[in-house]
Amino acid sequence: MSNVLRARRSGSVPADGGAVGPGRPWFGAYVAPFVGLAVLFGGWELYVRLAGVSPLTLPAPSRVIRHLAAEPTFYLRNGWVTLAEALLGFALALTVALLVATAMAHSRSVERATMPVIVLVQSTPVAVLAPIFLLWFGFSPTPKVLVAALFAFVPFVSNALTGLRSVDQDTLEVMRSVDAGTWEVFWHLRVPHALPALFAAGRICVSLALVGAVIGELYGGSTEGLGYQARIAQSRSLVDQLWGSVLSLAVMGILLTLLVMALERRLLKWHTSQSTV
Amino acid sequence: MLEPMRTTPDRADVLAERVSKAFIVDDRRTQALIGLDFQIQAGQFVSIIGPSGCGKSTLLRLVGGLLAVDGGRITVGGRSPQEGRRAKHFGLVPQTPALLPWRTVKENLTLLPRLNHGQGSRVMDDERIDELLVAVGLARFADSLPAELSGGMQQRVSLARALALRPPILLMDEPFAALDEITRASMRFLLLELWRDTPATVMFVTHSIEEAVLLSDRVLVLSSRPGRLAAEIVIEIDRPRRHGIEDADSFHHHAALVRASLDRATIGADPAGAS
Repeated sequence: MSNVLRARRSGSVPADGGAVGPGRPWFGAYVAPFVGLAVLFGGWELYVRLAGVSPLTLPAPSRVIRHLAAEPTFYLRNGWVTLAEALLGFALALTVALLVATAMAHSRSVERATMPVIVLVQSTPVAVLAPIFLLWFGFSPTPKVLVAALFAFVPFVSNALTGLRSVDQDTLEVMRSVDAGTWEVFWHLRVPHALPALFAAGRICVSLALVGAVIGELYGGSTEGLGYQARIAQSRSLVDQLWGSVLSLAVMGILLTLLVMALERRLLKWHTSQSTV
Repeated sequence: MLEPMRTTPDRADVLAERVSKAFIVDDRRTQALIGLDFQIQAGQFVSIIGPSGCGKSTLLRLVGGLLAVDGGRITVGGRSPQEGRRAKHFGLVPQTPALLPWRTVKENLTLLPRLNHGQGSRVMDDERIDELLVAVGLARFADSLPAELSGGMQQRVSLARALALRPPILLMDEPFAALDEITRASMRFLLLELWRDTPATVMFVTHSIEEAVLLSDRVLVLSSRPGRLAAEIVIEIDRPRRHGIEDADSFHHHAALVRASLDRATIGADPAGAS
């Protein structure tokens, strides 16, 4: 038996030949995510400079970053508005999805009655509801929060239902063998079992909620928010402000996703999705 | 030695009279068990063996009150299975360890006694948990998560979890089937050792003739579906049974008896089993 084969069997060399593995965990955790971003922004910067692209068409990232650095208060204030709408929408979607999925997981009749409504929400382009919400709720954060919530709702409810329902049958029988109540099974088995699926949805939904909040702002009824500022910048040809808003939203999306992932890593240490090997 | 300390009775017998059970799947009725009669005295270790699909696991779930009989009657310690379930009469050990992966070994052990408040609910003290963990050889792993343990270790936790309830009846559904042969052999003797210190009646479903003979006072052989009691073999091998007993003549003699009964039960039955 070769040394390599022996080493692999003892678990000291990863199966992929050692490109990224237990020997260099810091690389995968901290360096790799920035490599892709560096390539993207580096390529963008080079292209703009070498091809002589007009800033009106595409400003270089360095120019957008300089603009952001010059107007931090403006972007922080508007970013906070959009963030609050997105987070409220995210929380609303999560809460309603959990309630709906819990009812569906416990009753096939409720599931049959509810599923067409969920399919309807899923099939309807949520963006077209933004002007309707604007008509209903006027100049307030509510229309934006509702659009954000609708964007995040379907992935949450479908993952929550899958997680709550697809519990291990042997474990369920063990709990039933001591006559555990529905609430006990729900709290001790179904909810923890659903957490990995909920976090998987959360990683996607946090960005979707941000998209929803911005779409809500783009449709009007706002005086603040990055979506609103992007719309104003577009109508007045304020290229730096337009790209500054876009970049701020991108950074917010990345930070929110990282926050969800950090929370997931902390709470789901027991789950295979958090295995580093 | 594990000290018995319970609010439920220490011992319970199991009585089945003309028990029948059918399942309806896609409008098709399948008779799983029919006219099953047997009695298990309190404190006995009884294995149930039979061909695949003969209703062994169904029988265990009927006794444990997880399913309801269609015909006939089952009593456990004079109560219905459902009453027994409410009183925490049963310690169930399924084929998979069925542990909660987000709870440590210790937390898995303490959960079941805390459930079902107001009925058989009881609190486990740390001393009792430590005692159980020592008994199953996992004292050092109290704070480990199940994923950090091997399959055999997880199944030992599952066994300890069932014993933590101090159940008058242990229901074991092929608990060692997924383990490798070496681990499986050691688990059999561990089970014998733990059971010796409890007053529990054991119903043990298995596909292994050797396992049935090694562990049991009696072996119930079920026929192919629909499951009927095809034979009942008393295992007259002295206890305690220790390593090496599998080489004894008496062991081979009993294994041959069970094998012959199983062959007859398999050949003589209706293979379709549907009505």
